[in-house]
Amino acid sequence: MAVNAAQQAPTPNWPYGSNSSGEGQVHENPEWEKARKALASITKSQNSTKTSPTNLTPQQTGPYQPTDSPAMQQQQYYQQWYQQNQQQYAGYPYPYNYYYPMPPYGGPYPPGQYGVQGGYQTPTTPTGQAPAMPMMEDQSSSYSSQPPPPATPQPPPQSPTSTDQPPPPPIPPPPNAQFPPSPSQTPYNPNGTLPYSPTDSNPMMQGYNSGQIRPGYQGYQAPAYLPPQQQAPGQGPYGGPGRVDAKKPNNSNMNKGDQQPWQRMKQAPGTGAVKFNIQKRPYVMGNQNFTSGDQAPGLASPTAANPSPGSAPGTSNTSTGSAQTRPQDWPQAMKEYVQRCFTACESEEDKDRTEKVLKDLLQSRLQDGSAYTIDWTREPLPDLKPKQSRWEAIPQRSQENAIGRGGATRGRGGARLGNYRNVFSQRSPSSSSSRSSSRSPSPHSRHRDRSRHHRSDSGSQSDSSMSSDLRLPLSRRQQKAARGRGGERGRGRGAAGERGRGRGKANRGRRNMEDLSGGIGKKRKGGNAGLDFHDPNREAKKQSRAARFHTKLRTEPLVLNINVFDLPNGTQEGLSWDECPIVGTCQDITKNYLRLTCAPDPSTVRPVSVLRKSLIAVKAHWKSNQDYVYACEQMKSIRQDLTVQGVRTDFTVEVYETHARIALEKGDHEEFNQCQTQLKALYKDCPSDNVGEFTSYRLIYYIFTKNSGDLTTELVYLTPELRADPCVAHALELRTAWALGNFHRFFRLYKNAPRMAAYLIDKFVERERNLALRAILKTFRPSVPVEYVQSSLAFPDLDSCVAFLTGLGVTFTPSDPSKIDCKVSSVSLTTS
Amino acid sequence: MAHITLNQYLQQVLEAIDSRDGAFCAEMLSFKHPHVANPRLQLSSPEEKCQQLLEPPYDEMVAAHLRCTFAVSNHDFVEAYKCQTVVVQYPLSFQAHKEENCSSSLCMCGKGKVGDMLEKAAEQLMSCFRVCASDNRAGIDDSKKWGMLFLINQLFKIYFKINKLHLCKPLIRAIDSSNLKDDYSTAQRVTYKYYVGRKAMFDSDFKQAEEYLSFSFTHCHRSCQRNKRLILIYLLPVKMLLGHMPTHQLLKKYDLMQFADVTKAVSEGNLLLLNEALVKHETFFIRCGIFLILEKLKIITYRNLFKKVYHLLKTHQLPLDAFLVALKMMKVEDVDIDEVQCILANLIYMGHIKGYISHQHQKLVVSKQNPFPPLSSVS
Repeated sequence: MAVNAAQQAPTPNWPYGSNSSGEGQVHENPEWEKARKALASITKSQNSTKTSPTNLTPQQTGPYQPTDSPAMQQQQYYQQWYQQNQQQYAGYPYPYNYYYPMPPYGGPYPPGQYGVQGGYQTPTTPTGQAPAMPMMEDQSSSYSSQPPPPATPQPPPQSPTSTDQPPPPPIPPPPNAQFPPSPSQTPYNPNGTLPYSPTDSNPMMQGYNSGQIRPGYQGYQAPAYLPPQQQAPGQGPYGGPGRVDAKKPNNSNMNKGDQQPWQRMKQAPGTGAVKFNIQKRPYVMGNQNFTSGDQAPGLASPTAANPSPGSAPGTSNTSTGSAQTRPQDWPQAMKEYVQRCFTACESEEDKDRTEKVLKDLLQSRLQDGSAYTIDWTREPLPDLKPKQSRWEAIPQRSQENAIGRGGATRGRGGARLGNYRNVFSQRSPSSSSSRSSSRSPSPHSRHRDRSRHHRSDSGSQSDSSMSSDLRLPLSRRQQKAARGRGGERGRGRGAAGERGRGRGKANRGRRNMEDLSGGIGKKRKGGNAGLDFHDPNREAKKQSRAARFHTKLRTEPLVLNINVFDLPNGTQEGLSWDECPIVGTCQDITKNYLRLTCAPDPSTVRPVSVLRKSLIAVKAHWKSNQDYVYACEQMKSIRQDLTVQGVRTDFTVEVYETHARIALEKGDHEEFNQCQTQLKALYKDCPSDNVGEFTSYRLIYYIFTKNSGDLTTELVYLTPELRADPCVAHALELRTAWALGNFHRFFRLYKNAPRMAAYLIDKFVERERNLALRAILKTFRPSVPVEYVQSSLAFPDLDSCVAFLTGLGVTFTPSDPSKIDCKVSSVSLTTS
Repeated sequence: MAHITLNQYLQQVLEAIDSRDGAFCAEMLSFKHPHVANPRLQLSSPEEKCQQLLEPPYDEMVAAHLRCTFAVSNHDFVEAYKCQTVVVQYPLSFQAHKEENCSSSLCMCGKGKVGDMLEKAAEQLMSCFRVCASDNRAGIDDSKKWGMLFLINQLFKIYFKINKLHLCKPLIRAIDSSNLKDDYSTAQRVTYKYYVGRKAMFDSDFKQAEEYLSFSFTHCHRSCQRNKRLILIYLLPVKMLLGHMPTHQLLKKYDLMQFADVTKAVSEGNLLLLNEALVKHETFFIRCGIFLILEKLKIITYRNLFKKVYHLLKTHQLPLDAFLVALKMMKVEDVDIDEVQCILANLIYMGHIKGYISHQHQKLVVSKQNPFPPLSSVS
């Protein structure tokens, strides 16, 4: 393999960041391979890669499980998490680790809840990822707090007769409930698929509980930690492999062909460090487990898909995978896109992550067919960022502390620590992006980062190839070179954005790791420290910053939402009535008005012929009785019937005019205005002889409201014919007099008001009289006769005038009570 | 710019967004920009293209904008308005000037619409305005509040069109209480004062109106003759009411000869001529909404007329009959002695004449000093 070649190429002194061109070339191949792998894996998944039971076997085969179901991917986070925990326990001989330690912790939920929802639900629900982050925190804080798993003793881990396919309980049973089923389910799944299925979480729980039982662990470890350990035992040997599978599904896929060599290279670095790893990955012989664990998440995710909880033979998966898409069939653009993604990767971890992300993405794209339609060239590169970022650091520390305290098994503890750290380190690159680290890029930190990075790399590599310890250093170097290369290339192509991000994360992660883990990292440091120093880092950061603004194009077709506006006000009602005209059948002449709240019933609606009689009857009744309440109600019911039947004729006009007059006479301005509004609209269709009359009313009403704006608009629409109308002419004159303060003329017009205009003027005549009186009192000296005021202000008689005057506090001259003392009155009037 | 392809256009928009170049971005979405006339951009369904290049919500905005240009070019204003509405739905993330142009284009569309469309447009603008007004966090430099005045001016425009002057009040208050009041661009301030002045005029607050409109007129850019004329249409009546008569030159310069006769009649106290002039140009005055204001010039005319009577009689005790004769000469219909008293009463009440009426003797007694104080000093 080209990869091998790359390894061989010894770059003993790896200069910082310097990517020798030659090496870079060599490395290109690996990237391509990655891409190919990814594609292949996808196809496999789609085809429903058979998770052959053999693969699942606790032995190394585990990693190969092709579990492509998206659910798996979701759980990636959990897995990582879980791994951490496991690593702590790595010391333990439990080979079987579950992937889903997460649920027991129920991270998102307060520790107390632990048993119940949190743990279980999270894994099942796709959204569960998000909670994963909080979980981390919770763990740290909650370690002590969390109640040990329910006392219900689980069957000893090994004891459970593991049915390969535990029925996946869709809903997380209450903690207690979970336990009983658990034994059967999880631990023994030969397929290893179980861990992936959301339902598996329950089994996890079980395992956890059982673990608690063990006194030894509890002793030194915080309860929180226990669960993972315990789980491990419960799951027994099977769990281990299953987990492995999850982590390195890719490998499984990859392994099938050339890729194995590639993986070996990776492995090499990890081998040195940890002893306990074995449990996790039985197949991985040595320490590499830790590292492998880190990488695992990345790899696992893509493959992790096996959704079918029990799917022993993976056949079920196959069914899901639509045979539709073969890599050959893929759109060229998409292939290129995949390539771009991988070229953008700078580190192996990135690649792994990219791979899994890509897998999801492509799969979904292919399935819904959008792969052929979307513009791949504009597709953003996958975001590698794991979501947990911030929280990790803290939990780690706390965990470490806990471990440190646990004096009982010192030796072990130490070992665990080591593992633990490793795990962390591994994990951190992917997940944790402590911002502080990114901010302060001190060279020192970079070195460290480097070192860790190597470690992690080694781990990942270790997975596939057990033996390659010797190769490790070389492989690392190569990888680095490859990274550097990849980065450069990516930049050149302009695809750098994503890569940058990945980088940034990786760096941050590394740093964190450094901080946390002293020993191992340092060892590596010496050798590798300088490597990372090349610019790409900075650029990557920049790009990652820029990536924030990366455009996300909308996925669904854009449809302009040109809204339909409401119909113009008046017409809406009319239209609706017009559409479904009804003809009334009611023959009653009188009818009480009821506001309609539902569709009108024809039997209660009077036809026009009846309404005519009704109108006459109402008029007669009004003339004889002057009962406005009655008249108004009857008129309203008539109006309603007309509206309901969509009648807009001269008769309608007549009804409204009648009602308007009656309302005007009684000073019911509400009804009057309603009628006026309707009449204005009606006159456009059915002009009547009374247009002038009601136009004049409108003008006068504007005077009343002092609405000069509407008055002006009204003037605009006055046709000469209308102006000639006596009513309108009068109203116009009145308006002029009013505007000029010519009260004499105003009141003269008031006295001569045609039709019912006087009723309207009555509304504001007081106001005008008041104003006029002020002018009079201020103007005349020394006095003014009451008669003059009475005639000028159009009082019907002297008494009413006097009453008005006295009401205002006007003073009469002492000598002659028929005269007003203007000076005194003016003062009192203005002050009042 | 006028002939760029769609791709170029979208690319430019994209760049503008990326570089946060609000001004340019606004231009690209504006209706005053030449790209609007570009037939290559007038598409009936630009959605797909926009979608490929821009991220939401920009793609939708741009698509709507392009379709709007298409509609406008087809004189389908209603459709254009609808599109434009979509464009304006996304004001939230914009910088102030971006909004400005968005809404400016909206108003251009709004012009062709009937009343209810205008009201809808006003609602849209109002929502923009609220966004601007509530932008308290941004610094003074990039605050959306800079967009407030523009939006307010557009709202004024609509409100004046639909005769809802009462809706202007809160807007005026918002600006009055704004600490940026005097820092807006002159153009915006000129427009603002123009509308506020008009409003004050309709509210019969002539002093205020004169102040605002004068500001507008003097600060209006000298090349904006049309705007200056618009301002003058309202400034002239106000000025005349306050006693400042425009010169013939001014009227000629701005093509406002409709006012010539009015001016002459008022200063001469020629009521007859005034009535004729008002009738003659009634439509023009009514359309401008100043007919009612000009009508009030009659009061000034009365005053000038009576002043002449006073000068003729050269006495402080003027018989009311003399005024009656004068009014009859001006062919005022149906005038009687009581009406003369009424008119005089009003003039005295308003301060145009210093003096009093002796009802008993039917005489007007005027002050010996300055019985007809200059109009500018009145009230």
